[in-house]
Amino acid sequence: MAASPFASRSPSMTVASPNTLRLRAGVTDWPPRPAFTSKPLAKADQELTEQLNEDVRQKYVKDKKLGEGTYAVVFLGYLRNDPASKVAIKKIKVNAEYKDGLTMDAIREVKYLQELSHPNVIALHDVFSSKDQNLNLVLEFLPRGDLEMLIKDSDIQYGLADIKAWMGMLARGVWFCHENFVLHRDIKPNNLLIASDGEVKLADFGLARSFADPYLNMTHQVITRWYRPPELLYGRDNTPVPWTYDQISKICDAFGTPTEANWPGVSKLPNYIPTDPASIVPLQGREFFYRQFPTAGPVGADLLMAMCSLDPRNRITAVEALRHHWWTIDPRPTRNEDLPQKQKSGAKKMGDDLSRRGGQIDDGPFKNAARQLDFGAMK
Amino acid sequence: MIEDDIYRTSSQFRLWSYTEASLRSLREKTNAIASERVRAALRRAKEAHQSTTSANGTPQTGSDGEGKKMDDKEIDCLTPEEELAFVRFYCEKTLELGETYKPALPTMVRATAIQYLKRFYLTNSPMTYHPKSIMACALFLATKTDNYYMSLRQFAEGIPGKKPTTQEEVIGPEFLLMQGLRFTFDVRHPFRGLEGGIMELQAIAEGQGQPGPHLTHQTPQQLQQKLLAISPGPVRASSISDRIGRAHGTTREILKTAAQMTDAYFLYTPSQIWLSALLLADRPLAEFYLDTKLGGPLTSTDIKPDPSDLQNPLYDLRTKLLRVLTDCSALLQAYQPLSSDPGQMADLQRIAKKHHHCLNPEKKLAPKRTPAGTEASPAPASESETERLAKKRKLEAEKARSSQDIFGPELVTERTKQ
Repeated sequence: MAASPFASRSPSMTVASPNTLRLRAGVTDWPPRPAFTSKPLAKADQELTEQLNEDVRQKYVKDKKLGEGTYAVVFLGYLRNDPASKVAIKKIKVNAEYKDGLTMDAIREVKYLQELSHPNVIALHDVFSSKDQNLNLVLEFLPRGDLEMLIKDSDIQYGLADIKAWMGMLARGVWFCHENFVLHRDIKPNNLLIASDGEVKLADFGLARSFADPYLNMTHQVITRWYRPPELLYGRDNTPVPWTYDQISKICDAFGTPTEANWPGVSKLPNYIPTDPASIVPLQGREFFYRQFPTAGPVGADLLMAMCSLDPRNRITAVEALRHHWWTIDPRPTRNEDLPQKQKSGAKKMGDDLSRRGGQIDDGPFKNAARQLDFGAMK
Repeated sequence: MIEDDIYRTSSQFRLWSYTEASLRSLREKTNAIASERVRAALRRAKEAHQSTTSANGTPQTGSDGEGKKMDDKEIDCLTPEEELAFVRFYCEKTLELGETYKPALPTMVRATAIQYLKRFYLTNSPMTYHPKSIMACALFLATKTDNYYMSLRQFAEGIPGKKPTTQEEVIGPEFLLMQGLRFTFDVRHPFRGLEGGIMELQAIAEGQGQPGPHLTHQTPQQLQQKLLAISPGPVRASSISDRIGRAHGTTREILKTAAQMTDAYFLYTPSQIWLSALLLADRPLAEFYLDTKLGGPLTSTDIKPDPSDLQNPLYDLRTKLLRVLTDCSALLQAYQPLSSDPGQMADLQRIAKKHHHCLNPEKKLAPKRTPAGTEASPAPASESETERLAKKRKLEAEKARSSQDIFGPELVTERTKQ
């Protein structure tokens, strides 16, 4: 049992990839010493709880602004006693529209990141409050942008080994969340940030939640729309039908139409939309996945098919995905240092990604849609 | 990676796990700092009071008694033990408050709120912040962190009392509370583990049991037979499944009460807590469960030991675990609700009276702007906080005018287009 409880999870204590951060000062925090012992009692001009917060706050220096969004302002920062170190300090904005205290996205993000310590999940080093009750999250600095940026850049060439490396890092991050009973609920390319050593990190836990306890139901109204699986689209939902239908029909065209034969019970789902028998698309086989994603190879196609099964009961879990033999066949995943990358700095991109609200797409007609739907779900 | 490794990365382990000695010393430290500050604040208040009364020339009758007492002797502060008893009373009140909602707030939410209170008062003193004002805030915060969403208005309206509780009173200390929690909101409860254990036991009872990961030689039939052969439980049950069900209920009750009010969460892990509670509820059943995981039996004489048990490599672990569980069981068993114990209640009244005289006057809401003698609001919010709330209200009013839809205006426009 931890005898010295007041160790902050300083950079040295998180299992972030060692190349990402060389925060030497963190070493002084291990073994952790209770911060309050260093304070002479006579100088107690603050309550113990305030002293502890002040100690954390004093560890960091805020530098230039990296980005600003509806949700937060992100600054570059460093450890006071190690100016060469780099961190991102995310200052959560007070949401004037939300009168019930700290907003749910901030609560979720802080709650889950405090618990998750894994090389493929963005590390939360510390949290402190600054004057006027501002919440500051000290996060791992991830300067190489996000996966969306790489996908959209037509100048960047990548092959099977690169995909395998990126997918592997994503799958490990997701597995670790699930192992800790945490559902991210907003996995998408611009929430996958890249560290200076190329490591991919799952970020933005503003929509996350724990697994429901046995016998309790969870809501369907989560995940940025475009990334939702069919069972959530068929679930209880307050959104207009045509849009849902459009997305469902796109999924059907690609993977096959859900029917009682390939997904027992699907027609009982609250928002199930029957398909005209004439236009039923048969369930797609391995060949389809191979045709669509030739780079993945036949074994990779097999993995993709297992991950995209219409019936969620047949869809493989994160740990099953990691046990698939595609990972061990040739080619081996690219080493992090050899992964393709953008030449220009992605620090601004990190600023943008971290200051955005969860469930939100950078632009487009459905901006904020997921966030507002999630509000509805909280009734 | 094993479960223990994962637990060690949790904030509950990193920040909120102690030995008995470290827990005591932390509480003493918090008490010492707060006492000093309370004394200084009361001295300042007295001086200010004296200067106003002498300037006015008319002594104020209302607060005379308090002033005299401070003249007579050094201000008598609460001891760490008294603070602990005082906070425990409000932990029990939190459980009751959660019960008054229709429907009652989930056990998990109430348990989280109680742990928030207990954690908050490790580095804050009830002499500085009255638990009465932190309690409701902790319960509301727990509804948010445990995914049981209700609006602040709905929550505030649900608080019983002669005078209605305002939304500001509930939310006022939120930031302060979060700071006291060191911005860790996750509480690992023993309930989920208990549910899993009960499911496993029921499966064994039905002949569907899975062997433990280290004792793979056990068949579902063997497990079932062993379960049916355990010594009788505390009460007569119609079937083994009924017995498991009763043990489940009793254990849950211990977890809801004793496990919350004592220091169990600070001293033991969630699995240790639920196993200890199960030992109290039905000892032979709990020991059987441990046997399926770690081998055994250790003490039983009425069951013929399995030959494989005799060289049980997990024997040391089993012995060590039993020692920890016995300690934890003793802690849980010693718990007596305050309300059902006249002795404790009388002591509590004495503490409350003493507390009244050593509550830090400077930690009430905006004391500088409150005229002397009038009662300050319990919410310890700063001036800027008050301004912020005013701004928020203004924005809300504007928002309400522009849209009545909870989904917000933007999406509504989107829908109209379609």
